[in-house]
Amino acid sequence: MILQSKEAASALDEIDAISRKVRQSIVYQRASFSLILWGVLVFIGYLVTFFAPRHSFYAWIAVYVLGVAGSVAIGVFDRLEQVRKSFDWRLLSALLLFFGFGFLCTLTLGDFAPRALSAFWPIYFMLPFAIVGLWAARAFVFIGVSVMVLTLIGFFFAGPWFNLWMAFVNGGGLLLAGLWMRRA
Amino acid sequence: MVEPFDEIIHQPLRLRIMAALNAMPAKTGLEFTRLKSLTGATDGNLGAHIETLSKAGYVAVEKAFVAKRPQTTVIQTSAGRAAFARHVAHLREIIDRAEGG
Repeated sequence: MILQSKEAASALDEIDAISRKVRQSIVYQRASFSLILWGVLVFIGYLVTFFAPRHSFYAWIAVYVLGVAGSVAIGVFDRLEQVRKSFDWRLLSALLLFFGFGFLCTLTLGDFAPRALSAFWPIYFMLPFAIVGLWAARAFVFIGVSVMVLTLIGFFFAGPWFNLWMAFVNGGGLLLAGLWMRRA
Repeated sequence: MVEPFDEIIHQPLRLRIMAALNAMPAKTGLEFTRLKSLTGATDGNLGAHIETLSKAGYVAVEKAFVAKRPQTTVIQTSAGRAAFARHVAHLREIIDRAEGG
Protein backbone atom coordinates (compact mmCIF):
# COMPACT_ATOMS: atom_id res chain seq x y z
CA MET A 1 0.00 0.00 0.00
CA ILE A 2 1.38 3.38 -0.99
CA LEU A 3 0.49 6.26 1.23
CA GLN A 4 -0.15 9.72 -0.19
CA SER A 5 1.23 12.78 1.56
CA LYS A 6 -2.32 13.97 2.30
CA GLU A 7 -3.12 10.73 4.14
CA ALA A 8 0.21 10.91 5.98
CA ALA A 9 -0.50 14.49 7.06
CA SER A 10 -3.96 13.52 8.22
CA ALA A 11 -2.54 10.60 10.24
CA LEU A 12 0.01 12.91 11.87
CA ASP A 13 -2.74 15.41 12.71
CA GLU A 14 -4.71 12.56 14.30
CA ILE A 15 -1.67 11.55 16.37
CA ASP A 16 -1.11 15.16 17.50
CA ALA A 17 -4.75 15.56 18.50
CA ILE A 18 -4.80 12.35 20.56
CA SER A 19 -1.44 13.14 22.17
CA ARG A 20 -2.72 16.57 23.23
CA LYS A 21 -5.86 14.97 24.70
CA VAL A 22 -3.82 12.43 26.67
CA ARG A 23 -1.35 15.03 27.95
CA GLN A 24 -4.26 17.20 29.04
CA SER A 25 -5.93 14.27 30.77
CA ILE A 26 -2.66 13.52 32.63
CA VAL A 27 -2.49 17.15 33.79
CA TYR A 28 -6.13 16.99 34.91
CA GLN A 29 -5.60 13.68 36.69
CA ARG A 30 -2.60 15.02 38.58
CA ALA A 31 -4.28 18.29 39.46
CA SER A 32 -7.58 16.73 40.52
CA PHE A 33 -6.36 15.20 43.79
CA SER A 34 -4.69 18.43 44.88
CA LEU A 35 -7.78 20.45 43.96
CA ILE A 36 -10.05 18.14 45.95
CA LEU A 37 -7.69 18.30 48.93
CA TRP A 38 -7.43 22.10 48.86
CA GLY A 39 -11.17 22.41 48.22
CA VAL A 40 -12.04 20.45 51.35
CA LEU A 41 -9.42 22.23 53.50
CA VAL A 42 -10.37 25.70 52.30
CA PHE A 43 -14.07 24.93 52.77
CA ILE A 44 -13.41 23.98 56.40
CA GLY A 45 -11.13 27.01 56.86
CA TYR A 46 -13.80 29.45 55.76
CA LEU A 47 -16.51 27.70 57.78
CA VAL A 48 -14.36 28.04 60.92
CA THR A 49 -13.71 31.70 60.03
CA PHE A 50 -17.45 32.29 59.67
CA PHE A 51 -18.74 30.33 62.67
CA ALA A 52 -15.78 30.63 65.07
CA PRO A 53 -13.69 33.62 63.97
CA ARG A 54 -11.59 33.50 67.14
CA HIS A 55 -10.11 30.18 66.03
CA SER A 56 -9.62 31.19 62.42
CA PHE A 57 -5.88 31.92 62.70
CA TYR A 58 -5.09 28.38 63.88
CA ALA A 59 -7.58 26.91 61.44
CA TRP A 60 -5.82 28.57 58.51
CA ILE A 61 -2.36 27.56 59.73
CA ALA A 62 -3.69 23.98 59.85
CA VAL A 63 -5.18 24.39 56.35
CA TYR A 64 -1.85 25.56 54.89
CA VAL A 65 0.27 22.96 56.67
CA LEU A 66 -2.06 20.10 55.69
CA GLY A 67 -2.44 21.47 52.16
CA VAL A 68 1.30 21.74 51.54
CA ALA A 69 2.01 18.34 53.14
CA GLY A 70 -0.85 16.76 51.20
CA SER A 71 0.22 18.28 47.89
CA VAL A 72 3.76 17.02 48.36
CA ALA A 73 2.44 13.57 49.34
CA ILE A 74 0.22 13.48 46.25
CA GLY A 75 3.26 14.32 44.12
CA VAL A 76 5.23 11.48 45.71
CA PHE A 77 2.50 8.87 45.39
CA ASP A 78 1.27 10.01 42.00
CA ARG A 79 0.46 6.70 40.37
CA LEU A 80 1.22 8.08 36.92
CA GLU A 81 4.81 8.70 37.92
CA GLN A 82 5.69 5.12 38.70
CA VAL A 83 9.20 5.69 37.42
CA ARG A 84 9.92 8.59 39.77
CA LYS A 85 8.40 7.83 43.14
CA SER A 86 10.72 10.14 45.00
CA PHE A 87 10.31 13.26 47.06
CA ASP A 88 9.71 16.28 44.84
CA TRP A 89 11.84 19.09 46.28
CA ARG A 90 10.82 21.45 43.49
CA LEU A 91 7.14 21.16 44.37
CA LEU A 92 7.85 21.74 48.08
CA SER A 93 10.12 24.69 47.23
CA ALA A 94 7.49 26.20 44.93
CA LEU A 95 4.82 25.90 47.63
CA LEU A 96 7.11 27.37 50.31
CA LEU A 97 8.06 30.28 48.04
CA PHE A 98 4.41 30.82 47.18
CA PHE A 99 3.22 30.87 50.78
CA GLY A 100 6.34 32.73 51.95
CA PHE A 101 5.61 35.56 49.55
CA GLY A 102 1.94 35.52 50.52
CA PHE A 103 2.76 35.84 54.22
CA LEU A 104 5.37 38.51 53.47
CA CYS A 105 2.68 40.56 51.72
CA THR A 106 -0.06 40.05 54.27
CA LEU A 107 1.90 40.10 57.53
CA THR A 108 4.78 42.46 56.80
CA LEU A 109 4.33 44.65 53.77
CA GLY A 110 0.60 45.19 53.85
CA ASP A 111 -1.95 46.08 56.47
CA PHE A 112 -4.74 43.64 55.64
CA ALA A 113 -8.11 43.69 57.38
CA PRO A 114 -9.54 40.18 58.04
CA ARG A 115 -12.00 40.57 55.18
CA ALA A 116 -9.26 41.66 52.78
CA LEU A 117 -7.16 38.67 53.91
CA SER A 118 -10.04 36.33 53.10
CA ALA A 119 -10.16 37.81 49.61
CA PHE A 120 -6.40 38.08 49.08
CA TRP A 121 -5.48 34.41 49.51
CA PRO A 122 -7.92 32.90 46.99
CA ILE A 123 -7.07 35.58 44.42
CA TYR A 124 -3.35 35.07 45.04
CA PHE A 125 -3.83 31.29 44.86
CA MET A 126 -5.85 31.41 41.66
CA LEU A 127 -3.66 33.88 39.77
CA PRO A 128 -0.70 31.54 39.06
CA PHE A 129 -3.23 28.73 38.59
CA ALA A 130 -4.93 30.68 35.79
CA ILE A 131 -1.59 31.77 34.28
CA VAL A 132 -0.23 28.19 34.23
CA GLY A 133 -3.53 27.17 32.63
CA LEU A 134 -2.71 29.24 29.56
CA TRP A 135 -0.05 26.62 28.76
CA ALA A 136 -1.22 23.52 30.63
CA ALA A 137 -5.01 23.31 30.35
CA ARG A 138 -7.69 25.86 29.54
CA ALA A 139 -9.94 24.57 32.33
CA PHE A 140 -7.44 26.01 34.84
CA VAL A 141 -7.92 29.47 33.34
CA PHE A 142 -11.70 29.15 33.59
CA ILE A 143 -11.59 27.88 37.19
CA GLY A 144 -8.98 30.44 38.28
CA VAL A 145 -10.71 33.46 36.75
CA SER A 146 -14.15 32.31 37.96
CA VAL A 147 -12.98 31.97 41.57
CA MET A 148 -11.20 35.35 41.40
CA VAL A 149 -14.28 37.11 40.01
CA LEU A 150 -16.65 35.42 42.49
CA THR A 151 -14.27 36.31 45.33
CA LEU A 152 -14.38 39.98 44.34
CA ILE A 153 -18.18 39.85 44.00
CA GLY A 154 -18.40 38.40 47.52
CA PHE A 155 -15.87 40.91 48.85
CA PHE A 156 -17.95 43.84 47.67
CA PHE A 157 -21.51 42.52 47.91
CA ALA A 158 -21.77 39.55 50.32
CA GLY A 159 -21.71 41.70 53.45
CA PRO A 160 -21.44 39.68 56.68
CA TRP A 161 -21.88 36.43 54.75
CA PHE A 162 -18.58 36.85 52.94
CA ASN A 163 -16.72 33.97 54.62
CA LEU A 164 -19.66 31.63 54.13
CA TRP A 165 -19.82 32.76 50.49
CA MET A 166 -16.09 32.01 50.19
CA ALA A 167 -16.51 28.53 51.72
CA PHE A 168 -18.79 27.61 48.84
CA VAL A 169 -17.21 29.68 46.07
CA ASN A 170 -13.58 28.88 46.84
CA GLY A 171 -13.75 25.58 48.72
CA GLY A 172 -16.72 24.25 46.79
CA GLY A 173 -15.36 25.55 43.51
CA LEU A 174 -12.02 23.79 43.94
CA LEU A 175 -13.74 20.60 45.05
CA LEU A 176 -16.09 20.56 42.07
CA ALA A 177 -13.26 21.41 39.69
CA GLY A 178 -11.21 18.51 41.08
CA LEU A 179 -14.12 16.08 40.73
CA TRP A 180 -14.79 17.27 37.19
CA MET A 181 -11.12 16.82 36.24
CA ARG A 182 -11.17 13.22 37.45
CA ARG A 183 -13.87 12.51 34.89
CA ALA A 184 -12.58 14.74 32.08
CA MET B 1 13.92 5.26 0.31
CA VAL B 2 10.61 5.17 2.16
CA GLU B 3 10.37 1.92 4.13
CA PRO B 4 7.12 -0.05 3.93
CA PHE B 5 4.87 1.40 6.57
CA ASP B 6 3.27 -0.54 9.41
CA GLU B 7 -0.13 -1.84 8.25
CA ILE B 8 -1.04 -2.88 11.79
CA ILE B 9 -0.55 0.60 13.23
CA HIS B 10 -1.89 2.51 10.26
CA GLN B 11 -5.52 1.36 10.68
CA PRO B 12 -7.30 4.53 12.00
CA LEU B 13 -8.48 3.22 15.37
CA ARG B 14 -5.26 1.33 16.04
CA LEU B 15 -3.33 4.50 15.17
CA ARG B 16 -5.38 6.40 17.77
CA ILE B 17 -4.82 3.66 20.36
CA MET B 18 -1.08 3.64 19.75
CA ALA B 19 -0.89 7.46 19.76
CA ALA B 20 -2.77 7.63 23.06
CA LEU B 21 -0.58 4.98 24.70
CA ASN B 22 2.56 6.55 23.28
CA ALA B 23 1.68 9.88 24.94
CA MET B 24 1.73 8.18 28.35
CA PRO B 25 4.94 7.94 30.39
CA ALA B 26 6.88 4.74 29.59
CA LYS B 27 5.52 1.57 31.21
CA THR B 28 2.35 3.39 32.20
CA GLY B 29 -0.89 2.23 30.68
CA LEU B 30 -4.38 3.51 30.13
CA GLU B 31 -7.49 1.92 31.51
CA PHE B 32 -9.81 0.41 28.93
CA THR B 33 -12.61 2.89 29.66
CA ARG B 34 -10.22 5.84 29.48
CA LEU B 35 -8.84 4.57 26.19
CA LYS B 36 -12.38 4.14 24.93
CA SER B 37 -13.28 7.75 25.66
CA LEU B 38 -10.01 9.07 24.24
CA THR B 39 -10.32 7.17 20.97
CA GLY B 40 -14.10 7.40 20.62
CA ALA B 41 -14.36 3.64 20.04
CA THR B 42 -17.04 1.18 21.10
CA ASP B 43 -16.27 -1.63 23.59
CA GLY B 44 -16.26 -4.41 20.98
CA ASN B 45 -14.32 -2.48 18.40
CA LEU B 46 -11.68 -1.36 20.87
CA GLY B 47 -11.31 -4.87 22.27
CA ALA B 48 -10.79 -6.35 18.81
CA HIS B 49 -8.13 -3.81 17.85
CA ILE B 50 -6.31 -4.16 21.16
CA GLU B 51 -6.24 -7.90 20.49
CA THR B 52 -4.61 -7.27 17.10
CA LEU B 53 -2.03 -4.94 18.63
CA SER B 54 -1.40 -7.41 21.42
CA LYS B 55 -0.80 -10.26 18.95
CA ALA B 56 1.72 -8.04 17.16
CA GLY B 57 3.49 -7.51 20.50
CA TYR B 58 2.81 -3.77 20.45
CA VAL B 59 0.69 -3.66 23.59
CA ALA B 60 0.31 -5.68 26.76
CA VAL B 61 -3.01 -6.12 28.53
CA GLU B 62 -3.17 -6.32 32.31
CA LYS B 63 -6.33 -7.34 34.13
CA ALA B 64 -6.80 -6.67 37.81
CA PHE B 65 -9.50 -6.11 40.40
CA VAL B 66 -9.59 -2.59 41.81
CA ALA B 67 -12.15 -1.98 44.58
CA LYS B 68 -13.75 -5.33 43.67
CA ARG B 69 -14.24 -4.20 40.08
CA PRO B 70 -12.42 -5.70 37.11
CA GLN B 71 -10.04 -3.24 35.53
CA THR B 72 -8.26 -3.71 32.22
CA THR B 73 -5.15 -1.67 31.56
CA VAL B 74 -3.45 -1.47 28.19
CA ILE B 75 0.27 -0.68 28.13
CA GLN B 76 2.45 -0.01 25.11
CA THR B 77 5.42 -2.37 25.00
CA SER B 78 8.91 -1.19 24.11
CA ALA B 79 8.48 -2.96 20.74
CA GLY B 80 5.25 -1.00 20.31
CA ARG B 81 6.96 2.30 21.12
CA ALA B 82 9.71 1.55 18.62
CA ALA B 83 7.22 0.54 15.93
CA PHE B 84 5.15 3.65 16.55
CA ALA B 85 8.23 5.89 16.35
CA ARG B 86 9.17 4.21 13.05
CA HIS B 87 5.64 4.69 11.75
CA VAL B 88 5.62 8.40 12.63
CA ALA B 89 9.04 8.79 11.01
CA HIS B 90 7.67 7.15 7.85
CA LEU B 91 4.70 9.50 7.78
CA ARG B 92 7.00 12.52 8.14
CA GLU B 93 9.28 11.18 5.44
CA ILE B 94 6.37 10.88 3.02
CA ILE B 95 5.36 14.48 3.68
CA ASP B 96 8.95 15.73 3.41
CA ARG B 97 9.39 13.94 0.09
CA ALA B 98 6.15 15.38 -1.27
CA GLU B 99 7.14 18.87 -0.18
CA GLY B 100 10.67 18.42 -1.48
CA GLY B 101 9.30 17.43 -4.87
